[in-house]
Amino acid sequence: MIELKDIERYFQTGSLKTYVLRYVTAKILEGEFVSIMGPSGAGKSTLLNIIGMLEEPTAGEYWFLGEGVHKFNERRRAEMYREYIGFVFQAYHLIDDLTVYENLEAPLIYKKVPSAERKSRIADLLDRFNIVAKKDLFPNQLSGGQQQLVGIARALIGRPKLILADEPTGNLQSQQAEEIMSIFQQLNKEEGVTIIQVTHSEENAGYGNRILNLKDGKIDA
Amino acid sequence: MLLNYITIAIRNLRKHPLYSGLNIVGLALGIAACLLIFLYLAYETSYDNWNDRADRTVRVASDINYGGSQMGFAVAGAVIGPDCGRELPEVQSWCRFRNRGSYLVRREGELQSNIREEDVLTVDSSFFEVFPVKVLQGDPLHCLTQPNSIAISRSRAEKFFSSPQLAMGQTLMLENEDRRLITAVFEDMPQNTHFRADLLLSLVNDQEVQESPPFWGMNNNFQTYLLLRKGTDKVAFSKKFEQLARQKIAITAQQVMGFSLEEFEKTGQYAHFYLQNIPDIHLHSDLTAELAVNGNIRYVWVFSAIALFILLIACINFMNLATARSSMRAREIGVRKVLGGTRTGLMGQFLTESILVSALSVGLALLLATMVMAPYNELTGRDLSIPWAQPLFWLTLAGGAGLVGLLAGSYPAFFLSAFNAVQVVKGDPSGPGRKKVGFRSVLVVFQFSISVVLILATILVFKQLHYIQTKSLGFQKSQVIILDDAYALGDRIYAFKNEILQNPAIESATVSGYLPVPSSRSDMNFFTSRVIEVDNTVDMQRWRVDSDYFKTMGMDLQSGRFFDPAIRTDSSAVIINEAAAKLFGFDDPLGKKIYTLDNTPGSTPKPEDFKELEVIGVVRNFHWESLRSNIGPLCFQLGRSRGLASFRYTGKDTEAVIASLEKEWKSLAPDQPFSFRFLDDAFNRMYRAEQRIGTLAGLFALLSVIISCLGLFGLSAFTAEQRTKEIGIRKVLGASVLGITSLLTKDFLKLVVIAILIASPLSYYLMGDWLSDFAYRIDIQWWMFATAAVIAVIIAIVTVSLQSIKAALANPVKSLRNE
Ligand SMILES: Nc1ncnc2c1ncn2[C@@H]1O[C@H](COP(=O)(O)OP(=O)(O)O)[C@@H](O)[C@H]1O
Ligand SMILES: [Mg+2]
Repeated sequence: MIELKDIERYFQTGSLKTYVLRYVTAKILEGEFVSIMGPSGAGKSTLLNIIGMLEEPTAGEYWFLGEGVHKFNERRRAEMYREYIGFVFQAYHLIDDLTVYENLEAPLIYKKVPSAERKSRIADLLDRFNIVAKKDLFPNQLSGGQQQLVGIARALIGRPKLILADEPTGNLQSQQAEEIMSIFQQLNKEEGVTIIQVTHSEENAGYGNRILNLKDGKIDA
Repeated sequence: MLLNYITIAIRNLRKHPLYSGLNIVGLALGIAACLLIFLYLAYETSYDNWNDRADRTVRVASDINYGGSQMGFAVAGAVIGPDCGRELPEVQSWCRFRNRGSYLVRREGELQSNIREEDVLTVDSSFFEVFPVKVLQGDPLHCLTQPNSIAISRSRAEKFFSSPQLAMGQTLMLENEDRRLITAVFEDMPQNTHFRADLLLSLVNDQEVQESPPFWGMNNNFQTYLLLRKGTDKVAFSKKFEQLARQKIAITAQQVMGFSLEEFEKTGQYAHFYLQNIPDIHLHSDLTAELAVNGNIRYVWVFSAIALFILLIACINFMNLATARSSMRAREIGVRKVLGGTRTGLMGQFLTESILVSALSVGLALLLATMVMAPYNELTGRDLSIPWAQPLFWLTLAGGAGLVGLLAGSYPAFFLSAFNAVQVVKGDPSGPGRKKVGFRSVLVVFQFSISVVLILATILVFKQLHYIQTKSLGFQKSQVIILDDAYALGDRIYAFKNEILQNPAIESATVSGYLPVPSSRSDMNFFTSRVIEVDNTVDMQRWRVDSDYFKTMGMDLQSGRFFDPAIRTDSSAVIINEAAAKLFGFDDPLGKKIYTLDNTPGSTPKPEDFKELEVIGVVRNFHWESLRSNIGPLCFQLGRSRGLASFRYTGKDTEAVIASLEKEWKSLAPDQPFSFRFLDDAFNRMYRAEQRIGTLAGLFALLSVIISCLGLFGLSAFTAEQRTKEIGIRKVLGASVLGITSLLTKDFLKLVVIAILIASPLSYYLMGDWLSDFAYRIDIQWWMFATAAVIAVIIAIVTVSLQSIKAALANPVKSLRNE
């Protein structure tokens, strides 16, 4: 599904190039649950962002579903987000001005899902995540764990093939973290959704079936 | 999708009441101003639209330089209409107007009191053929063919006889002596016409027409209109007309003055006749003897520009606030992007928001405009109203709202939708909003430049008005009461004058229709010898006055003496002004002789046709026209002119003085209306247009300053908010409240200073142009710029400080703990 070849990424400050990623080569197959691990500042988020097409590598090749990502324009990227990729953020990033229900609806509107189906899909997920009672509340009226549930529900609602999660439990207590990890596991096992997460915790990484260790911008085999 | 956009837009507006309020109020003010201005402009440009023959009707006008004065006339000689009808086959019909001012009018019969009618014209019987005014009663083609007939408007028919039907066949008395039979009633003419008439008198057998010489360029007293046949090429016709006019003027030169056109023109003198298109008259013509106070195309442009600028200022507020706030929305944009939102979709969202704001503003603007409509009409001197019932108006309004929404929303929409999702997701939300400070600054500078230009314009216009009001005019304009209808008393006016002089409060009285404010005028040719030569002629005003005139008007002598009733030879004496003395070339004018010509029109003048006048005094130049013009040559002769009576009084107990005037008037002429005014008021009325411009400029300056400040207020609130943390840290490090306030204020102040630097030369140029209309004017001085600058700076400081001080006073712990 994903093929990275010699991905390189540096940031330029003045004439100084700071390499964050170097010679990153990896292959992720459909149906995998991969955890990216490594010390702070190792470039995990950067790698995930590249996979999520939010950032472009300064060198190297990236193939997604057999297509070269470097050829994508903004419109095509938006299409990818609508059809294939769901994001879960550490800081949740829900839209403050929308209710839970509307946050879940937003991606479906972008996908042009008809209204009746939107309703049923949202009702489904609300039910599944046990947040039916919260549907008319705004994000700031929810606890962190609840917000992240909504964040995951929003990532799932478009039925993506790939979920990218950057420290999804970083701001949560361990009990809530467990709940979310088991949701991921279930998704991966039962629905075959490919999941790539960044995490610091060995325990979380244990839910997945492969670990990529990043150190000094390179993958430790 | 759209519904979703709208829901979110509404929610966003409600969530940030301060910004929404600033935006909506700012835009509403801008739109209201725009709306009011455009109503005025629509009206100004609608003149003579109602006339479906206007496109093939022309008016004869002339540009004449003769006897030392150059003038443009909206009137022509009585002979020109018939000549054109005879010699130019393109002319389908022609019509002359003679405007003899207002008339006292009453129904025939006992106990009917006189009413003064202002809009009276004496016209040819072809009037209704040339002008498509609807005739309600009577025969449009023949109603004015009888010598003593009159056609009246519906409103006058209703006023005098209660209905058009009842008015037909009745008789009106004009000036107590002229009986006129009503032969037609016509629909009231629209207000937006370059002339208006309520009473149309027949010109048949008119004495002035009959006595008019058959020469072009003489007796310019008749507005003359030509209706051209359908399909006439107007450009070619104009040329043809001008050629005819040249031939006719050559005949005048030869037969009246005795020399050829070439000799005449060699002296630099000329008489050009040309044609004016009817629809152009209101905005493009400003000649002597216009039938109404016309508008001015320059003001139409200036006000259009002001309207657009004010709207732009309001739109800029919207853009600035939206982009400044963008950092707060950056996250939303980033998130929407990773959810699959496209740039177009996001732009749709932002445009929906701005169009919603614009629609709300339009609603508020309509409310505001309705509220101020009455005072606005007073200010503009027009009768404007919001055309609620017109679909076109609503269409324009909706289109305008959409356009303003797009204009105001486009920049934020492009700018915001271009945010890079990764910046946002990576938690760098303050980044994008800050980078565009440069562009925002440019917009703020633009706003304040316009405001400063308007402030300067206001200062200058009022300074010029003040100059006009306080300038020494060569006569004393205060403490003089003018009685309007003095001639209605006939010769009793002299008894009246003597009676009034018994009142100790009255210092002096004079009876003359000629005053140094708009009133009677008459110019004549004067010669320096008993023969007409190419260059011995001076065309100047000749005013008939009595011997008390100079004392009453407070005029001064440069040399010689005023008229003395005891000296019999003063009947052939003349007093000239300094301008006339200069034009005649007299070094010592006293005792010099000048001549007037009184021969049968068309005959070659003989020496005994010249009447000799001796100059006995030179009066100091006084402004007998507005300060727009230079003081022209003028002379006084003793003689009867009973149009007006003027009284100089002590200036005290005005009401008692007027009461005694009225009492005396009523006892002499119980059935004549009593009406009075003050000389200084009449003087001030000449500058009504300038007063209006000044007031409007002031209002628009105020408005643009308010709107700009709303924007500045919003921006400074935003900056303060954004820099809360920085402020907190600085305070913990020991910065003072003053230090922080000035830190926050400094940046904005810089922009205002730049605006002043841009606005100053611009205003210097624009206002210099405006002032050049006045022959007598103020100099533009540096302190005017300084005043405008100080005003702008103070307003800006106050606006920004409101926020800065609040931010500086806030407890730092709060802002720091928030992180
Ligand atoms: N926009 C940027 N400019 C310069 N350096 C950056 C930028 N974004 C990230 N970095 C640097 O790249 C390195 C890797 O960052 P990141 O991928 O966020 O690490 P991780 O998620 O593993 O903690 C860090 O040292 C960070 O400072
Ligand atoms: Mg990270």
